[in-house]
Amino acid sequence: MRISAFFETRWFPALFLLFLLVIPLTTNNYFQFVINLVLCYVLIGFGQQLILGYAGQFSFANAAFMGIGAYTTSIIFTLNVPILIALMAGGLLAALVACLVGLPALRLSRVYLALATIAFGEMTTWVLTHWNSVTKGGDGMYSPVPVFFGYSLDTDTERYFLIAIVCFVMVMIAQRMLASKFGRAFIAIRENEMVASCNGINIPLYKTIAFALSGFYAGVGGGLYAIAVNYIVPDNYDLFQLVIHFALVMVGGLGSMYGVIVGALVLTTLPEVLREFQHYQEMTYGVLLILFIVFIPRGLAGFLKDRRILPREILVHGWKEEIPHVREAAKTAAVFNVGAGAEDRGEEH
Amino acid sequence: MAVDNVSMNIDRGCIHGLIGPNGAGKSTLFNAMSGLVPIKQGSICFEGVDVTHLPVHLRAPRGIRRTFQHVQLMEDRTVLENVLVGMHSSISTNPFKSVFGLGAEGSPDKAAREAAREVLQFLGIGHIALTEMGGLTIAEHRFAELARALVAKPRLLLLDEPAAGLSLRSTEALDTLLVRIRDEWGATIVLVEHRIDLVLNVSDVVTVLDNGSIIASGRGQDVIEDPGVKRAYLGVDEEE
Repeated sequence: MRISAFFETRWFPALFLLFLLVIPLTTNNYFQFVINLVLCYVLIGFGQQLILGYAGQFSFANAAFMGIGAYTTSIIFTLNVPILIALMAGGLLAALVACLVGLPALRLSRVYLALATIAFGEMTTWVLTHWNSVTKGGDGMYSPVPVFFGYSLDTDTERYFLIAIVCFVMVMIAQRMLASKFGRAFIAIRENEMVASCNGINIPLYKTIAFALSGFYAGVGGGLYAIAVNYIVPDNYDLFQLVIHFALVMVGGLGSMYGVIVGALVLTTLPEVLREFQHYQEMTYGVLLILFIVFIPRGLAGFLKDRRILPREILVHGWKEEIPHVREAAKTAAVFNVGAGAEDRGEEH
Repeated sequence: MAVDNVSMNIDRGCIHGLIGPNGAGKSTLFNAMSGLVPIKQGSICFEGVDVTHLPVHLRAPRGIRRTFQHVQLMEDRTVLENVLVGMHSSISTNPFKSVFGLGAEGSPDKAAREAAREVLQFLGIGHIALTEMGGLTIAEHRFAELARALVAKPRLLLLDEPAAGLSLRSTEALDTLLVRIRDEWGATIVLVEHRIDLVLNVSDVVTVLDNGSIIASGRGQDVIEDPGVKRAYLGVDEEE
């Protein structure tokens, strides 16, 4: 059996679920903490992938959206609001702000949008640092211990289940969404706005939706991150955080949602593996990013796809098309065998 | 001014050929009809409704679809995924229906896939539905783009040089398909094409543009015999 064939079997999701359930039994507290961070970064990476990899918008404000989500979740949860509602509130506020940030995107493109969103990110860090009465300023604030249906989640293992459930549900939603008209509209806009609009896609509307969804995923991811680390400071959401988001997408593979999972796994565990060189963490990220851009520009997803280790459908959007009569169609031969003419392989392409 | 004082009536259910030398204004007229180029004066009516100032994305749901002179497809996506983009307006924007498939009528995406498969079969490229565009032939690109325009069952199909780069065999297939699209799908087709034989074969009416103005319009054979057309388009002088 080919490796890729294994991933297509019905055993794979079941085994993966089993793997997720077994993780807490096999880890110590520290390793569990790292796994929790991986799951947070899966959602955060999805946020960046949605806007950059799918919609093709050069937006680099997701570190700020993550911060907004983290602080909102923590602050609202201190008001004795259920943790799931606090997470949703963090995600929704981040989505709302993302919509507002996305408005210039309707007019700005590429490098100008990148500059505008980076500037917004810096502004957010400044606000988080100086709004002492709400954010406790540069000293940061503790994120309260979450309570889930009356059960206090004191340990990393207990928090894992909350983080894993939220992450799993949101990954499933993202999978469905990207395989729907929304995902196709984002990709069509990325590829060619003129063609997209000729096919009935409202460009401003779908760009705004992409920003909102991206902000929502970054916001909820930020809220979970606050729960995982228990303590948040404005510096968590600075330019280096932005580099991590960008690296998640580039290392995982631009335009691949499952690539983000691989990227989150690699980039979150790497600093732990290289713990002795902690002072060089930023440099390590930088070098890794350069190496990937130069040698594996399509990221790990593209690398695995090219070698047929993972099937394309799973890597690209986690959707496998059922089309049983394709083989039959090939056998009966096309009515018009348009691919047969040698002249068709002309110079135009 | 690329197009000036052009007045065209396109009859429902016919194939209307639009020819002319390079720079005659065919593409500009085409872009104006599909909404990509704003017009300074005059109006464009479709099925009795003034669509002159209607945004491009709102013309598609009304049944106006087009292809491009240079094929515009998502190269890293499959043929099926490209064709599904053409179904955008036909699928509910309600996320509960379009994303989660909740609703009395089931998943609209599933219906869209069925429609896409039907069109691909109709065009004879059903066997490459799950193949990525990169690596396919020009003909397969052309037919995939045609499928994307056709999948939403348009009432007006604007085809910009659909035979460019095709082999003789594929052009013959296209010839037959255009007639079938008109007859079986009931679509009105405006065809910009440099291959005169194809235009004459399939068109009910042919209009000739030169320097942004119409110089002749009528039955294909009549138009092609017109001295003005011979001079402007074919470079043949009557006295020669």
